[in-house]
Amino acid sequence: MPVILAADQVTKIFTVNRGNAIMAIKNLSLDVEEGEFLCLLGASGCGKSTMINMFAGFTQPTSGQVLLRGQPITRIEPRCGMVFQSYALFPWKTVRGNVEFALKMKRVPAAERRSVAERFIHMVKLNGFEDNYPTELSGGMQQRVTLARILVANPEVLLMDEPFAALDAMTRQVMQEELLAIQEQNRKTVVFITHNIDEALTLADRIVVLSARPGRVKAIVENNLPRPRHVASQLTPQYAALKAEVWQYVEEEVLKHVQADRPSAI
Amino acid sequence: MRQPDERALTNIVDEAAVEKIAGPASTPPAWYRFRPSLVLNVLSVFAFMTLWTVSTEMGWVAGVFLPSPAAVASEAQKVIATGDLWGAVVASSARVFLGFALAGAVAVPLGILMGVWWPAKALVDPFVSLLRPLPSITWIPLTMLWLGIGESQKIAIVFMGSWIYILLYTIESTKRVDPLLIRAARNLGAGDFSIMTEVILPGALPGILAGLKVTLAISWSCVLSAEMIAAQNGLGAMIWFAKDWGNLPLVLVGMVCISITVLVADLLADRIERLLLPWERNRRL
Repeated sequence: MPVILAADQVTKIFTVNRGNAIMAIKNLSLDVEEGEFLCLLGASGCGKSTMINMFAGFTQPTSGQVLLRGQPITRIEPRCGMVFQSYALFPWKTVRGNVEFALKMKRVPAAERRSVAERFIHMVKLNGFEDNYPTELSGGMQQRVTLARILVANPEVLLMDEPFAALDAMTRQVMQEELLAIQEQNRKTVVFITHNIDEALTLADRIVVLSARPGRVKAIVENNLPRPRHVASQLTPQYAALKAEVWQYVEEEVLKHVQADRPSAI
Repeated sequence: MRQPDERALTNIVDEAAVEKIAGPASTPPAWYRFRPSLVLNVLSVFAFMTLWTVSTEMGWVAGVFLPSPAAVASEAQKVIATGDLWGAVVASSARVFLGFALAGAVAVPLGILMGVWWPAKALVDPFVSLLRPLPSITWIPLTMLWLGIGESQKIAIVFMGSWIYILLYTIESTKRVDPLLIRAARNLGAGDFSIMTEVILPGALPGILAGLKVTLAISWSCVLSAEMIAAQNGLGAMIWFAKDWGNLPLVLVGMVCISITVLVADLLADRIERLLLPWERNRRL
């Protein structure tokens, strides 16, 4: 598979107060292959959100490059569509208005916009709610709208920044399975951020474990668990073995992170 | 509202949300519901009116200091019959409306520009700081010199008293538009113009309307002070003339009428606000 998205020796330093700098990511190199479902797994504060924001072009690396099909990403890149954890739906637009947004930006005629939006609203099972405003929907439903909105834009890569973190465990499970079903149909490249090992094991083709701050690639784990994956998949011995392997990498980093947060006097 | 069974409920796991939309099974209409606070509202007004009536009718308070409710009512009847009261309300309302509309037409676009483009803000900020502390009545001498004592002078006073508040509210609400939404819009392919029309304007609208509503009440106080100082008609002038003639009941009629007019204007503004912000309806209830 060809590489579609790449980070090449990326370092990101944030200046907090005058003179105070935090290195969020250090010399991170990563290739994302076309059509794969890649999970970036790491504890909070490991720079995974920073990395995905650079893939979207929201921020630029301090040094190194982020490349989409070999071209550096230097500004907000519509070909890398972002699904935000906090949904970022336009509160003044109805479900339909939100889903149609990308087509409106492309000046697609209203009738065509409507029929395309209709199809994607159906795909995320929100038919009947076209004319509701986002505040009238639950968290899970709002995240479905976000998903439909970005799929309508038809980006080459889907970037998902802990999209289901704010949902309850049961809704999350349903959303994961639906996302897999949608990805099965669309074969989109997905970069998915999570701190949840089960989520990574359920969704990903490859799991990239990031180290504690500054973020680097700690390990890359191939996830060959058979698809389709359901709740029952989590009861198999292969799943348990893989989970143990991933946890081993994650545990070291979490301990480091906890150590670093402790006051130095101890 | 459609019935929940019309929606593909079997697909939806979020039953709580459906209930939120459809509302609980059977609630009586809003006006019918028993509201203890409303009872206390009525009681306190009733107690006040009784105290007012008794204290004036029994002669505890002299009529030259405070007329009785009956005197005020009969005076009101008189000015309503002659059409004087209505004329005063119309004259003042027209001044407020024109001055306020002019202030909005200048301050809203300028505020949006200042909110999104820092050089504009830097250029105008010093004047805002200098002009803001000035009460609108301090503009009366200058405006009289420039515009005389006609309608345009009253409108100018309303304008000077209103535009800065509208401006400040507009700048603030423009800057408060969630930057995440702007990012999301750009990520979905929006250019600068679309960001303005699709994100910043609707995002700032609730704050701008809230500012306009607050400023509308300020506009009313501006026009009344302007009318008290130099005007032939309007509610402010009516009160001032009544004072000169020693007609205290008419002063009170004017004051009550101002209250009612501003309340009605506020109610009207609320209606318009709801109409313009359909997405906030649910949040309000």
